[in-house]
Parts: sequence; C-alpha cells; structure tokens
Amino acid sequence: MKRLSSWIVGLLFLIPTGLLVYKSQVLNLSLIPQKVDDVWNFYISVRPKDPAATSVAFPIPRAGDGLKISEERIRGKGFDTLIDRNSDSAMLTWLSKEPMTKRVSYTARIDIKPVIVRKIDKDTTTVYPRQIKKYLKQPVLAPEEEAAMKLLEGAIFEGGEDKSLIARKAFYYVHEEIQRNVKFKTIVDALSSGKGSPLIKARIYAYLLRRKDVPARIVAMLRLPLITDAPTEKHQITFASEVFLNNRWIAVDTNRGHFGERPDRYLVLHHHFEEVEKTLAKSKVAYTIRADRAVMNKFNKEEYRKDVLRKGSFFAFISLYRLPLPVQNIFNMILLIPLGALVLCLARNIVGIPTFGMFTPILLTMFFKETSLSFGLFFFLSVVAIGCVERYVLDKLYLLAVPRMSIILTLVILLLMIIAFTGLAEFFGASHIGYFPIVIVTAFIERFSIMLTEDGMVNTMKTLLGTLVISVLSYSLYSVSTLEIVMFTNPEMLLYVIGLLVLIGKYKGYRLSEFIRFRDLIAQVKKKGAV
Amino acid sequence: MREFGILGINNRIGRYILRQNKRANYPLVDDKVKTASRADAWGVPMPENYFTITNFGDLKKLPQLVAGMSSFVIKPANGSQGNGIVVVSEVLKDEKGWITFRRSSGKIMNMEEVRHHISGILSGMYSLSGLPDTAIIQQKINMHPVFNDYCYGGIPDVRVIVHSGFPVMSMVRLPTKDSDGKANLHQGAIGAGINLKDGTTRNAVIKNQVVETHPDTGHRLNGLVIPHWQEVLELAARCYDMVELGYLGVDIVLTPDQGPILLELNARPGLAIQIANQAGLVPRLEKITKEGPQGLTAKERVALSQSWF
Repeated sequence: MKRLSSWIVGLLFLIPTGLLVYKSQVLNLSLIPQKVDDVWNFYISVRPKDPAATSVAFPIPRAGDGLKISEERIRGKGFDTLIDRNSDSAMLTWLSKEPMTKRVSYTARIDIKPVIVRKIDKDTTTVYPRQIKKYLKQPVLAPEEEAAMKLLEGAIFEGGEDKSLIARKAFYYVHEEIQRNVKFKTIVDALSSGKGSPLIKARIYAYLLRRKDVPARIVAMLRLPLITDAPTEKHQITFASEVFLNNRWIAVDTNRGHFGERPDRYLVLHHHFEEVEKTLAKSKVAYTIRADRAVMNKFNKEEYRKDVLRKGSFFAFISLYRLPLPVQNIFNMILLIPLGALVLCLARNIVGIPTFGMFTPILLTMFFKETSLSFGLFFFLSVVAIGCVERYVLDKLYLLAVPRMSIILTLVILLLMIIAFTGLAEFFGASHIGYFPIVIVTAFIERFSIMLTEDGMVNTMKTLLGTLVISVLSYSLYSVSTLEIVMFTNPEMLLYVIGLLVLIGKYKGYRLSEFIRFRDLIAQVKKKGAV
Repeated sequence: MREFGILGINNRIGRYILRQNKRANYPLVDDKVKTASRADAWGVPMPENYFTITNFGDLKKLPQLVAGMSSFVIKPANGSQGNGIVVVSEVLKDEKGWITFRRSSGKIMNMEEVRHHISGILSGMYSLSGLPDTAIIQQKINMHPVFNDYCYGGIPDVRVIVHSGFPVMSMVRLPTKDSDGKANLHQGAIGAGINLKDGTTRNAVIKNQVVETHPDTGHRLNGLVIPHWQEVLELAARCYDMVELGYLGVDIVLTPDQGPILLELNARPGLAIQIANQAGLVPRLEKITKEGPQGLTAKERVALSQSWF
C-alpha cells in the first residue's frame, strides 16, 4: 500500500517534470510567454571632436521616477571614469592622461515605466527652495526675442491664473499653435511662422513659464520606437519639458502633446538641458545612441502561441493556446482552482482550520477574483447578515425548509439589485457581478444558518473566520499573475498538484490545531508522569 | 503528542476509519431506523420506536399519533452529535384544550412548533448528508437513579470505543446547564473517563478543562460507579458483531428497569474521549491490532480488554 502510493506520487512528479524539461530543452520553448514590457538594451558611444581632448562627458539615464537601470557597464580601457549624479540627472565623464582617440561607451539595461500625474491641483507657491531657484532664471535674450516673448505672454495669460493653469495654458499654446518643424530654430522665427523645432518649442515653453515665476526646465531625452515601428539604428536626442508644480516635477511634452504624463518609451537623459547644452554641442562631441527592445518581460501570449504551434509537436496539440480565446480565458481562471483546493487541503488537514463545507472557500475565492476582494468581502458579509435574518426572523414563522431557503435566495437577488442601484460594486472596484454569487450563496447560507442554530454564535464565527482566511489566502495566491500564466502555459503541472494532494491525503500526523486541543491533556499526563 | 499515544483526526480517519469501516455498513449506524431493525434481529435492546414520520402529509395526523402518550423523544434518523433531538417529558393540555408539550428543559412547545421541528427533520436540516430524512418518535428513557446527582436536564450516556470488537476506552457524558441538557461534549457537557476494569469514573473534563465537581450540582465526579458495568461492555462488544465496523463508537444509556440499552452507534466517534480519560488511544488500538485474537465471543473480548487496559 505504502509502496503503491510512493510509486504514484513519484510518477505524478516525474511526468510533468519530464514534460517541462522536454519542452524547454528539446523544443526550446520558454516555460512562460515573454513579457513585452519596455525593457531596453541601451548603448551610448562617445568621442570628443577635439583630437587633443583628454576627457569627454555625456549624460546617462538616472534611476528614479519610472526608470530602473541594471547591468550598467562602462567601457574605455585605460580611462578613469567618474559619474556625477545630482538630484535629477547623471553625467558620466571619461578621463585620460593622453588625448582620446577611440570611442568610449556605456551600456545598461533599462526598464521604463510610464510616469503619470493624473490630478494636478492649483498651485500658488511664491517661495521656492534654493535648488529650484535656478529653474526660474531668465535667459539672456536678444531685444527682439524679449519683445516677442512679452507679446506672447500678454496674449496667452489674462493675469490672476494659478501656476497650474499657467502651465496648462502655455502648454496648449506651444503644443497647438507652434507646429513641429526642425528648420525653425530661433524664438523669433518660431513665433512669427508658427513653426519650431522640438528644442525651440521646449525653450519657449520654459521661458514663458519662468516669466510668470513658474520653475520650468528643458529635458533632453530619447523617443524610443514602438513595438510596431521599424527598429531605429541610431537615436537622436530630442526635447521635452518639465514644470515644477505642487512641489514636484511634472512631465510635459509640447511636441507630442503630453501634459502630466511621460509614456514608457520616453527615456530621459538629462533633466536640465541648459546645463549640459555646451557639453553636448555638435562641435564638441560625436555620439551614437542605440536602444534595442530587450524582449523579456506583459506576457506576449500571441507570440507564444505561434511559437508553440510552429514547433508542431505533441505539445502543440495539448497546448491551451490553440483553443479559441474565450475558452482560453475560462481555462486561465479555472486552472487556478486546483491550487485553491491545495491551499484548502493544507489549511483543513494539516493546520486544522474549520470551514463551511468543503468547497465554499474555493467558490468564494473565485468570486473575489471575478469581482474584487473588497467587494467580495462586502457581499459575503451582507450574505452573512441575511443568514442571521433567517436564523432570528424566519425561524419564528415556522416555514418549511425549501420555501425558506427560496426566500433567502430571493433576498440575495434583492441585495444584488440594491448593489446595482447604489453603485456599490463600482465603489469597491468590481467590474461586474454575474450569476456566481447565487451559486456561492446556495452553497453557503443553508449551512451557515443551521450551524448558527446548532453550534452557537461562537463556533459559527470561528468557522466563518476560517472560511474567510482560507479564501483570502488563496485569493492572494490567485493574484500572482505569473502563477496564472505558468499554469496556463504548462497545464501538465496539475499533476504536481495531484501528487501533493496524495501526499496530504496520506498524512496521518497531527493537525496543528490538535496541539492546542490536546495541550491540557499533555500537560496533565506529563504532571502525572512526574509524580 | 506522539509519545503519549494521542490519536489525531488524520490518523483516526486514515488508519482506522477508512481501513476498518466498510462504507457499505455505514447506513447501519447512520440511519437509526436501520440500526433499530438490526438491533431487533440481534436481540440488542434499544429504546422502543413508537412510530416514524417520512412524509410531510403525516404531520397532520400528529395529534392523533401522540394522543395517549405521556412522554417521547423526536429524533432525526440520520442525525449526528445529538442535533435535532427534542425530548418531550410531558404531554399537556392548555386551558383551551390544545395539546402542548413540556420539554425536558422545561420549555413548552405547542403543536405547531413540534410540527415545524419535524418538518425540518424531514427536509434534511439535521441529517448527515443534508438529504431528506425520517423523523423517529421514540420512547423517552428514564434516568438511572445513580446519576441523579450528576446531571442537569438531560440523560447521561456511556460512550465506548470498540476496536475490532474489543472495548478500548470509555467515558460517561453528563449533561450540564451549559450543554442545554444534552450529553454533547462540544456544547459543554462533562466527559468523565471510566476505568474499564471496574467501571468507576476517574477524570472529568469540560471542553478540555479538568473539573473535579459538577458545575451545576457540585457533586464530586471521581469515583462514580457505573451500574451494570459488565453488561455495558458486553453490549458494546456485541455491537461490533452486529454492524461489523472495526472502529466504532457505541452510545449506551442505563435505564432503571431495562439495564443498559443501546442508544446509537457512531462510525466516526470523536477524539475527546482521550481528554476525558487523560490517555491516548493509539497504544490501545495498536495492541488490539497486533495482539487481539480472532474468533472470540463478546464476553471473552471484554475480559481480555479488561485485563489489558
């Protein structure tokens, strides 16, 4: 008997392991689809134009606000390197004893997340800290430029706007009234023609704001290609803006029309272009920038599907990816059920947590997953309240059991209506409520009210708590999106689950709760033994 | 816990219940109507079943059926842990001439309440599986006078764990105010372990806590001698032959006139008996498994058990 179950468990673990190894090693399939997140292999190479120069400096991306940088590598044999990081930007300097003749380079892997500020409140700040004051500094302008700016200022602002509104009005003007055109490179040209290069647009925006005492700066950055774009060989530095509102820098792009938002393919090299303008001048430095999408990380199921089908093996046949999408979505969810059952078995048979029925916690977890945790808990507790109504009100009416249950069911429908009318579901972040709650309720409410009658409030509440704890535990397991995708991609892993379940089923040791239950008994027996 | 030989739930189920109790025989113990007919055939005394109710339609006839009875017990045929049992100690008539019932707890129930309770049983509210059930109207058993000072409300019963026909451990369950007069340990009844050799109680517990005296009557709980002890054990041992379940809980009540009679059988007896006896079940069960000889009569098995435990 013991041998038989060891064999079975052994097979249940060996088979899926073998399949996984075969898939990954022989078929060369990855075990989960690739993520199509915006992770980039980033590369800069630099050479000073002056052949006698012994140093060269270039801005590099700095980790922070939406940027994650890893695997940084600096190349340049025989050079000293120095990274100067101030609060926003970083400059990398290569130093040499001899004149630099070769290119030096910097590589890194960069993960870019979009930076979005949804709500920009009114800002009436008048005094700024010292490190911000430099962003208020007026540029030295030629008299005709000064005159043009003044005219523009008068045309855009009415006076009395708060700083957030100033930033917005200036944004609308520069974004909409000045067309992007790289040929127009001075303030006067841009304002008279209604066309301007990205840099001049960023300049006009920053200068306009500074005139109204709003800190603003020009951002030097790269616009990386979309996944659908053809890969770009070399990237040019382009420009956007940032404005300091409510004590934080807000990304603005008057060229592409983003206010309070920096999409995840905009890679900032330096946040204060004016400071490095001279260093980056074309006469000073030659540079090449490359950025390739490092295909790794959201899961690209479509690609994976093609990949699996192309391999054309047995796995193409048993892969869930070949099913129609709606069916896929169902499996995505229900493949997690066995994992919930595993948690349930651990909780009940190894820990000894009491639950209502065997599968109520799992149904409840599915419900949480389908709606949201907070809504699920709210709904469940409302149902508990209805259960109490049954116990304390309907009991007095001496109704036959089936009609009574049907009344409860009808009350649940009414509850659903109330939820729909009051918008409670949206309030708790639930997208939709299906037929599911009714299923759970029928599974649960009857047991609940009987238990309330027979075992009393305390035991019932213990069981209720146990049920909730297990549901929330499995919910947190279900929320791991990687787990979902791993199960979906490799459904043979269900055999592992069965193997583990056999092991739990064979467990004859004590439940953790029994150590508490028999605690006094042990103490007594020990005491007697000592006498 | 292992060194003290305490039996845990997983072990009970995996090693004893699943291995030794044939599923096919469960109805014999779960369904009290079947238990009763089997007991009748084997000559095992049980409380008399006056009648059973299976259909809702029969509820109309209830007044005629109970007419002339002075006391009775309503039970679900497939109930567990004493749930759904109502003990009517007196049938009364109120000033208008309607029949009312006094429960053992003193509460008065009218006919409608009794009907409602029985219809609850029929719908399966108290049954193990939740399926529709039968209600049994049964003879109310009187308490043996020896327990007068040890009980509050209801009637005590003696639980014997029988392994392969050998009694291995026993306790008496004494109702308290907390347990609402029910001999149910979960609800706060007293469990007092019994020395198999002579039938005297030794340790008593309420919900895991050791107690010396009955909380309601103040009587000392140690040293109570269960009357007809040999008969109790032999009755328990014979139940094994009757239902052929290797791991069995036998509940026996002592009546003043009939002696020990079988109340009900349990295929999944609880583990609290270990607390009541301050001893683990495992060594005793193992001894029976390893050394218990086959083919003995109930009497011989009892004698062997008594010499061992």
